[in-house]
Amino acid sequence: MFFPKQGKHSGALELLYVSGTIGLQLVSATFIGLAMGYFLDKWLGTSPWLLVVFLILGIVAGFRDVYREAKRIQNRTGGEPGAGDPGAGK
Amino acid sequence: MSAGLPHPLTYSVIIDEKLGLGLPPHVYYMWLAMIILFTCALMLRGRLQLVPGGLQNVFETVIGGLEDFTVANIGEEGRKVFPFLCSIFIFILVMNYIGLIPGCDAATANVNTNAAMAICVFLYYNYIGIKKWGFGYIKHFMGPMAALAPLMLVLETVSHLARPVSLTLRLFGNIRGEEIVLVLLFVLAPVLGTLPMYFLFILGKTIQAFIFFMLTMIYLKGSLEHAH
Repeated sequence: MFFPKQGKHSGALELLYVSGTIGLQLVSATFIGLAMGYFLDKWLGTSPWLLVVFLILGIVAGFRDVYREAKRIQNRTGGEPGAGDPGAGK
Repeated sequence: MSAGLPHPLTYSVIIDEKLGLGLPPHVYYMWLAMIILFTCALMLRGRLQLVPGGLQNVFETVIGGLEDFTVANIGEEGRKVFPFLCSIFIFILVMNYIGLIPGCDAATANVNTNAAMAICVFLYYNYIGIKKWGFGYIKHFMGPMAALAPLMLVLETVSHLARPVSLTLRLFGNIRGEEIVLVLLFVLAPVLGTLPMYFLFILGKTIQAFIFFMLTMIYLKGSLEHAH
């Protein structure tokens, strides 16, 4: 079950891991951006500009991670979206 | 199974009263996990056989399977970082399963345990990256285009810092949630209600340990492979 043999670790496990990962990565990147902005503001006394900038940067970074993850899955399933799913692409 | 609710008695409370140390429960259960693993390791070290049997067989299956998986994903370099990955996996797995024993609590149901491990992972993969690439490791943060490098540097820093946070919160949320569900179901329907959930949670806890392992592996892969 949880020790996939080489070459046999198809879809399910990979998808489980992805579904457990993507959402939280998005959220935590946003919050890290927010926190960085907040503390930089506090340190440099430029409230609220750095907060806004870093919040936006955090959101962008989160979406970029999700995009990269999607690309990785696409490469793994053979280049076509939905190639692992026999019902797709009809 | 206390999980932060006004809790039923756990063994650690009794032990803590005896010792008078005033430590929180998750520390004791982490020690318990360490004791279990050290005992297994020391028992096995004394009588390693060429033809494995019993406990040695179990460990060889687990560790061998994980090593094949790691090498298939990272490549031959994976063997160097495999000890760290494997100990993370087995440690988390044992701590998660301890939560299923009545009267015990999973050490991973406390955010501090997970944060400690996630920070270890963060420092370790950056250390591996710096050791391998030297100063060139910064290229991993710069992105493909030179013009966008300063922006990418900030973006990558944010997303790298987000990694330990998401590692911590995922493991914490899942395990803590499972512990709370167990306590609530035990209140509703003492044995009948909790027994079916055990099967689900054995699966869930295994998957969470595996996700932590797999993410660590992917981060290490990222710091070992050539930048873009």
